[in-house]
Amino acid sequence: MPMYGDLGNKLVQHAKRTQNLAHLPSYQTELVRAVAREVRDLDKDVASLLEPFQGSFDPSAEQATACTLLVNHLSMRRNKRCLLAYHRTRTDKLEELVWSGSDVLDLAGQQTGGGNGGPVADSGGSSSLSPQEEDYFRQYGDLLAAYKGQWTDIDLTGSLEPPRDLFIDVRVLKDAGEIQTEYGAINLTKNSQFYVRQGDVERLIAQGYLQKLG
Amino acid sequence: MSYYDIDSILTQSEKIPCTFQLDIPDLGYLDNTPTQPLKAGTKVNLPLWLAEMLVIANSGDAEGKSFVTFDLPPALGNDVVQALKADPRAVPLRDQSPHFYGLGTHMMDLSEEQEMAAVLRKTFVTRAAEVALHARKVGGVGHRGKGPEEGSNLGIGGAGEEFLRGLDEWERKLFRKAHDGAKSGKEWMEGVKKH
Amino acid sequence: MDIDDILREVDPTFHTIPQEKRDLQELTRAWTAERSAPELLPWPTSGLFERINDSIKHQIEKVEEMTGDMDPKTNFALIVIQTELERYRYLVRSYLRARIAKIDRHTLHYLSTDDLRARLSEMELAYATRHQALLHNHYLSSFLSSFPAGLQNLNDAAGGISMIETPDLDAAVFIRLLKDTFVTARGVDEDDAANMRESDIIILRWSDAKPLVEAGSAELV
Repeated sequence: MPMYGDLGNKLVQHAKRTQNLAHLPSYQTELVRAVAREVRDLDKDVASLLEPFQGSFDPSAEQATACTLLVNHLSMRRNKRCLLAYHRTRTDKLEELVWSGSDVLDLAGQQTGGGNGGPVADSGGSSSLSPQEEDYFRQYGDLLAAYKGQWTDIDLTGSLEPPRDLFIDVRVLKDAGEIQTEYGAINLTKNSQFYVRQGDVERLIAQGYLQKLG
Repeated sequence: MSYYDIDSILTQSEKIPCTFQLDIPDLGYLDNTPTQPLKAGTKVNLPLWLAEMLVIANSGDAEGKSFVTFDLPPALGNDVVQALKADPRAVPLRDQSPHFYGLGTHMMDLSEEQEMAAVLRKTFVTRAAEVALHARKVGGVGHRGKGPEEGSNLGIGGAGEEFLRGLDEWERKLFRKAHDGAKSGKEWMEGVKKH
Repeated sequence: MDIDDILREVDPTFHTIPQEKRDLQELTRAWTAERSAPELLPWPTSGLFERINDSIKHQIEKVEEMTGDMDPKTNFALIVIQTELERYRYLVRSYLRARIAKIDRHTLHYLSTDDLRARLSEMELAYATRHQALLHNHYLSSFLSSFPAGLQNLNDAAGGISMIETPDLDAAVFIRLLKDTFVTARGVDEDDAANMRESDIIILRWSDAKPLVEAGSAELV
């Protein structure tokens, strides 16, 4: 027979799977409700166990009751920890999505078949996010935007790859005409050499117009 | 041990055999008999999150005895310990428990098992070396020719895969870290060679 | 001890180095240290980031002015400026992100005492406070508000485990000694102590390395 804490454990197993997924699986609305209900039921049990003692409970005189109370308390704490860890795992994922520039509308739309009219507005239960998570996603997005706004020249959410090989030497293998780069136009005539930004010429290298030197 | 850590929470759901030391009317459900009292002497498998505190808590009587006593779980039983003594690499820890070391650490906290502590430690050190070795091999990262890994009797073939399958969660993390480390190390070396 | 004092001690040519170059050195050190240390390090109060921000703005303006100028000589200068700009941007971004990651992981810890709060910049403090409030509110609206009052805390240590997670101060770090130093370090089986020389690189627990780094005897690498 199931014991207290089993449902909470299921939630944590969901969290464990979530950690290894690229996307965010559906919010376990029913399971969350059931675990929270278990906490309230346990709390009621505690109250009714203590009721006959009128505030003068002596654990050493009532060992069996003391043990039951301890089990109830531990079960409540266990459920709380499972619920928090489950929600935290998901908000971690949501924050990652905010950092990578995802839109909550895209997320919610994934499972609603991209229906227009804003799946956020009609939380018809088909979104993988709970309504509270959709709120959190938006609010954290605002928070990050505010923080980023203080560092506009840095592009805080930009690449964390060090700018290695930023500029490279290239030789022109065949005339490619003029290309626009961030620092002006360059005329690529055969056999000329340039020191250019790699990102600007990657396609030309792939197409065989340019050869990377060095 | 951290509050929000998923693996730490799952580790504490591992069960250990416990014996209740007193009759408890309201806990019959723990032994599948919710309508009857739990009798002293009843053996029940309890998850660590419950068992640990029941073992530590003093029932409050004059002799200071606990609500429950416990035995080592089968995952840390004598058979397993003997097998680990013989060859730590030959035991698929995952089959014993996905959180084998976590379980072991919790049990060490509850009881002084000097011999087991020594066995677990040797197991970890021996297997960690093997884990690192495989992490370099997988994905063609390992270098060919003679090297320290020649000493291993586990090839990348059947036996190696069986070894990797038997890693517990902690070892899996170690494996992933070692693998990523070896991979970025290799990429770095190739980057250096290009210049 | 200020990083300037350390630099002055270890490098007699300190004052001949232009401010901008010193700032880049300091930024690089702060970046290296922040990425190595398991806990959040104090935000530099020397005005470093204000100067760096100004410098970045200045460089961006220069690039904009020079763009379109086809003179090959200025073109080359432009490339140099842009390379430098990218490097600055990367260092600041990576530094800030390393800090945010630590703050996010242990928010309640860094908000828990005045000493710890003082390590955060004003902006980071505002971010951390708001982030924690958002999380708390999210838990409340998802399930926590239906709990009995005594169970609604996010910061107690009931049941033998603290809800406030803390960084692992015993994690291993590498340090380079900036002067000859007597180093003591705790190990798993036994502790160790030895006289080490300037520029030696050693690995030890952060809790053992921290006093050396703070005293200016060593730096994180």
